[in-house]
Amino acid sequence: MTPERIAPPNILAIEDDPVLGAYVHEQLDRCGFRVTWCQSGLEGLKLARRQPFDLVLMDILLPGMSGLEVLLHLRGEQTTPVIMMSALGAEADRISGFRNGADDYLPKPFSVAELQVRIEAVLRRVALERRHMPAVPIPTQTTQGTLTFDELAGDVSFDWQHAELTRSEYRLLEILWRNAEEVLSKPFLYQQVLQRGYSRHDRSLDMHVSQIRRKLKAIGYVERQLRTVWGKGYVLTMADADV
Amino acid sequence: MFKQLPGKTSVFWKLAFLLVGFCLLMIWLSWSWGRYVLLQNAYLSKEARQVLSGYAAQAEQAWEAGQSAGIDAWLQQMGQRESGWIGVIGQDLQSLGSLPLNQAQSQRLTFLRGLDWPTSQRSKGVPWLKIPFPKDASLGSLVIELPERFTPGRYLWLWQLLTIGLIPALLSLLFCAGLYRLLIVPLNQLREQANALRADQWDNHLPQQITRRQDELGELGRAFEHMTRRLQSSVAVQQQLLRDLSHELRTPLSRLRVAWEGEQTLEPLRQRLGREIDGMQRLVDDTLQLAWLDTERERLPLEDIQIVALWEILAENACFESGWLPSRLTCSLDAGCWVRGHLNTLAQALENLLRNAVRHSPSDGQVHLGGRRDGEQWLLWLDDQGGGVAADELERIFAPFTRLEGSRPGDGGFGLGLSIARHSLLAQGGDMWAENNGAGLRVNMRLTARQD
Repeated sequence: MTPERIAPPNILAIEDDPVLGAYVHEQLDRCGFRVTWCQSGLEGLKLARRQPFDLVLMDILLPGMSGLEVLLHLRGEQTTPVIMMSALGAEADRISGFRNGADDYLPKPFSVAELQVRIEAVLRRVALERRHMPAVPIPTQTTQGTLTFDELAGDVSFDWQHAELTRSEYRLLEILWRNAEEVLSKPFLYQQVLQRGYSRHDRSLDMHVSQIRRKLKAIGYVERQLRTVWGKGYVLTMADADV
Repeated sequence: MFKQLPGKTSVFWKLAFLLVGFCLLMIWLSWSWGRYVLLQNAYLSKEARQVLSGYAAQAEQAWEAGQSAGIDAWLQQMGQRESGWIGVIGQDLQSLGSLPLNQAQSQRLTFLRGLDWPTSQRSKGVPWLKIPFPKDASLGSLVIELPERFTPGRYLWLWQLLTIGLIPALLSLLFCAGLYRLLIVPLNQLREQANALRADQWDNHLPQQITRRQDELGELGRAFEHMTRRLQSSVAVQQQLLRDLSHELRTPLSRLRVAWEGEQTLEPLRQRLGREIDGMQRLVDDTLQLAWLDTERERLPLEDIQIVALWEILAENACFESGWLPSRLTCSLDAGCWVRGHLNTLAQALENLLRNAVRHSPSDGQVHLGGRRDGEQWLLWLDDQGGGVAADELERIFAPFTRLEGSRPGDGGFGLGLSIARHSLLAQGGDMWAENNGAGLRVNMRLTARQD
């Protein structure tokens, strides 16, 4: 799951609650991140301007300058990924956070494991984007195993039958194929395929998975299967003999 | 300008009828009364005519008594009573007295008026009247300059003030009062109603004479009444929700308190804490979700959803959760069943129904999703074999925090699942209701079909 990194990622956490802030700081440190923690929006904005961070983790309700304002200022200057946290939880807040350019939104209360998954998903997406930008190492037609990927048409075929995937389904299948046998978390797949954060009741990705399964079955491809890993994510794996 | 003509019952027609009628009435009244008053004021009064006829009779007597000399004497006598010119003339228009007429007087004798002729308001000089002798008109006539006190139309200005000023003003006042009654009184009642709402008096309703009106004001009244009732029910629901929520939160809190006081070892305490926190979080999330679905006025963005694909995800999840074999969850729909809805809320609705069905199923029970196309809609149903519910509770199970007899508290449900499911469907233009299918409960869903 961890791509090649030399230095631990630098994270700026802006959280005014001393208990939650200290806890997040401590736990993320333990997970191998280098965390700078500050308690006000203005201070956080100053810090972000002074030194580069890999990611900003920020509450929406902050004393002085609100998290959404900080986000607005940040987006005017840099592209550092931002994850918003809030106890407001309402749908409206989510939407306004994303409109201003937050990369993900985490409703409180959350577990540290969940936070870690989200942070890794965003960091990994950013890393992949930077790596892939110069050259996409996929030829127009690649035969991998027996499934043929057609990057131009955005479709796969098996035995000359086209699966007729949609654009999102193709991207999803492609990224699972690249990382075959590796469980990819839902937050990461949302970031990578749908370019947005994941929330509890969001079913878009599940629908894409369901459609890919149906379409692969329809063209008779059974060598690898798209499996759900309960509570974690999805994996493309060799089909078991007994299933 | 007129995008559409006002309806038959519109207040426009009432106003138009009243205003046009009133204007015509005023114009007609002013015109006819003005004419009448002018005419009435143009004639000599009865008294004036009597006096003047009397003069003519006296002149005749004077003539019969003393011819020319008699006339002279009488004229002399009259000169003291009347200041204007008086003469008595014969058939030949010559004076019957001894004094002949001068030029100017002869000239004026050609413009004589009768006693019962109307006098003109426009003539400037004082008119001369010619009154023939009453007994024998052929003998001669009295000619007299109309004495000023007999001038007709001296009170004309008063009459005119009355007919073109006071009476129209009074009528307009009456008309204004009528309009006020027609238009403003209902508005005042609406305002009173609004004030009552401000003071939280929810049982105050508009009188029927407003809500039964056929015009725009009636429509306004009905809309207002509808709004009141909706607010009333909404406030009641919110209050109920708050009461239920605080009640439901007490259960995990009291369990936590028991654990805190009673549990001695750390590991079981941690596990209990985790369970209770999960439960409380789910309760708060679900309640917020319900409140959100209930108050959301923005239309949910709709998309085409293939029910079979959605079912496969949900069935897979349900098997994970419950440990059921996939063969116990069956679906008889084919890939052609596409509906138009909001994916996440529809998925949540179906998931809640499925969880509910699984929870109430016997140990070897099956859950089945079926459906059929019904015109522009899809009718879907989820059957379980859990025995169903009593007929009078089929509607109650959709109310929030409803738990039927026999379900244990804390078995994973707060009685919000079905309520959220129904609200989700309503929010995307669908509907949901329940019936007993013999072996268990059938929950029906009506959804808009995808446009082909």
